[in-house]
Amino acid sequence: MKSNRLFFRKNMIALTGLFLCLFLIVHLSANCLLLLPQDTARGLYNAYSTFLRENPLIMVVAYALYASILVHVVYAVLVLIRNRKAKPVKYAVNLHKENSSWASQNMGALGALILIFIIVHLVNFWARIKLGIGAEVAYDEAGNKDIYEVTYTLFQNVYYVAFYTLLAIPLGFHLHHGLQAAFKTLGFYHQPGLQWLAKVSLIYAIVISAGFGIIPIVVYFQ
Amino acid sequence: MQLTFRIWRQEQFQDKGAFKEYLVDHLTEDMSFLEALDHLNETLVLKGERVIAFEYDCREGICGQCGIFINGRAHGPHDHVTTCQLHLRSFQDGDTVTVEPWRAKAFPVVQDLIVDRSAFDRIIAQGGYISAKTGTAPEANAILIGKETADKAMDAAACIGCGACVATCKNGSAALFTSAKINHLNTLPQGKLEADQRVRDMTAQMEEEGFGHCSFTGACEVECPEGISIANIAEMNARYWKARLFA
Ligand code: HEM
Ligand code: SF4
Ligand code: FES
Repeated sequence: MKSNRLFFRKNMIALTGLFLCLFLIVHLSANCLLLLPQDTARGLYNAYSTFLRENPLIMVVAYALYASILVHVVYAVLVLIRNRKAKPVKYAVNLHKENSSWASQNMGALGALILIFIIVHLVNFWARIKLGIGAEVAYDEAGNKDIYEVTYTLFQNVYYVAFYTLLAIPLGFHLHHGLQAAFKTLGFYHQPGLQWLAKVSLIYAIVISAGFGIIPIVVYFQ
Repeated sequence: MQLTFRIWRQEQFQDKGAFKEYLVDHLTEDMSFLEALDHLNETLVLKGERVIAFEYDCREGICGQCGIFINGRAHGPHDHVTTCQLHLRSFQDGDTVTVEPWRAKAFPVVQDLIVDRSAFDRIIAQGGYISAKTGTAPEANAILIGKETADKAMDAAACIGCGACVATCKNGSAALFTSAKINHLNTLPQGKLEADQRVRDMTAQMEEEGFGHCSFTGACEVECPEGISIANIAEMNARYWKARLFA
């Protein structure tokens, strides 16, 4: 059977989106180490990040992650282009607030904000640690690269704190709609299950958004 | 009561349309929205102007012909109603009411408020039926169908093809309509024989007609006069996977 682009593209967005959602759980859990007092946090966080960098399985996962972001964005753009073409004339008056959530109507704009965040985030950390761009990263007492110090210095800058914290908000909205939509896209249609899914998506979005939003503030005050 | 109608006027598909305002008097709140348009048209006839073109048939909420976008909502301010079931008591005396045709690439404007919904017919033509010898009606109990199955099929079969789902969807997606038609038949034993082929052909036509992707905003199920649930779209997606992987 010939593939249908309406389904294929959305399935790709959903599969990559869910993989990214899973990643966010792991990423947030690890970053919670940053909430500990500085002395404890530094050692644990640096040890954890060294473990990640030296684990070959994690390298595979990391590439899957970069690929997922790329695929998610590319298909999102294709979907947005077709959707725009399918609706060439807009209504003079349109009260879609009365029939659907704001997030569901603005997934593209929310995604664009997240993309800006991801780029800045990669420049702040990935480029500095992996590519060695910017100031050299020091080593801590245990001989691990001092990633904690990279994080700490970044979040001594209030502008970065504000940027990281504020952009956790669009992420939350994107995830609240995205998580439930992804399951429906992939064919989950069980009625009571869908109601449960809506609640889980809300809780998930709040936890991720609040979690990532709070960490920079806490580190700032360390 | 008195209302100002701000109505989209367009001669034909190729033309550029525009809004025109009409102050309409001597309305009563018991009039249906279509009766108000009839009333306005009578005054236009007396003035020798071309009447406002709009569609209807049954005027009792079952044919799906009366699709109009009213004050920013498909079929007006209420959930789950057709335009013919909307009454002027839903408006305040002196209101301005903006009246637009359905907007979607796949639904070109024919004139004023009338759009061409034959894209839906072509989707139906790709499998929105079962292949059976016609003749005298078969014995009703020849194929036994459980109540739950019959109810589920009937819920989907309730779709009247009005196009409100496409009209309200920001992506102009026909996923709700197509899924209702597919699930109606694929739920029943009579439809199962051609189930995978139906999914393949009807969804292919949906793509062909230029409808957009489904983003699960849920606007469609709110505006749908029959309250067809978007769970139908998720079920269609599951049926698509099955047809794609196993057929
Ligand atoms: C951490 C990063 C991200 C996660 C976890 C994520 C997650 C998701 C999920 C789960 C969906 C639902 C898929 C579906 O509708 O079936 C989705 C949809 C979407 N994502 Fe993302 N996303 C992320 C980043 C982005 C970025 C950077 C963009 C950039 C343009 C983007 C654009 C979109 C769009 C446009 C949709 C909706 C497609 C539609 O209208 O149906 N996302 N996302
Ligand atoms: S699914 Fe509902 S809104 Fe869409 S065409 Fe059928 S009856 Fe109309
Ligand atoms: S005229 Fe038949 S549903 Fe409104």
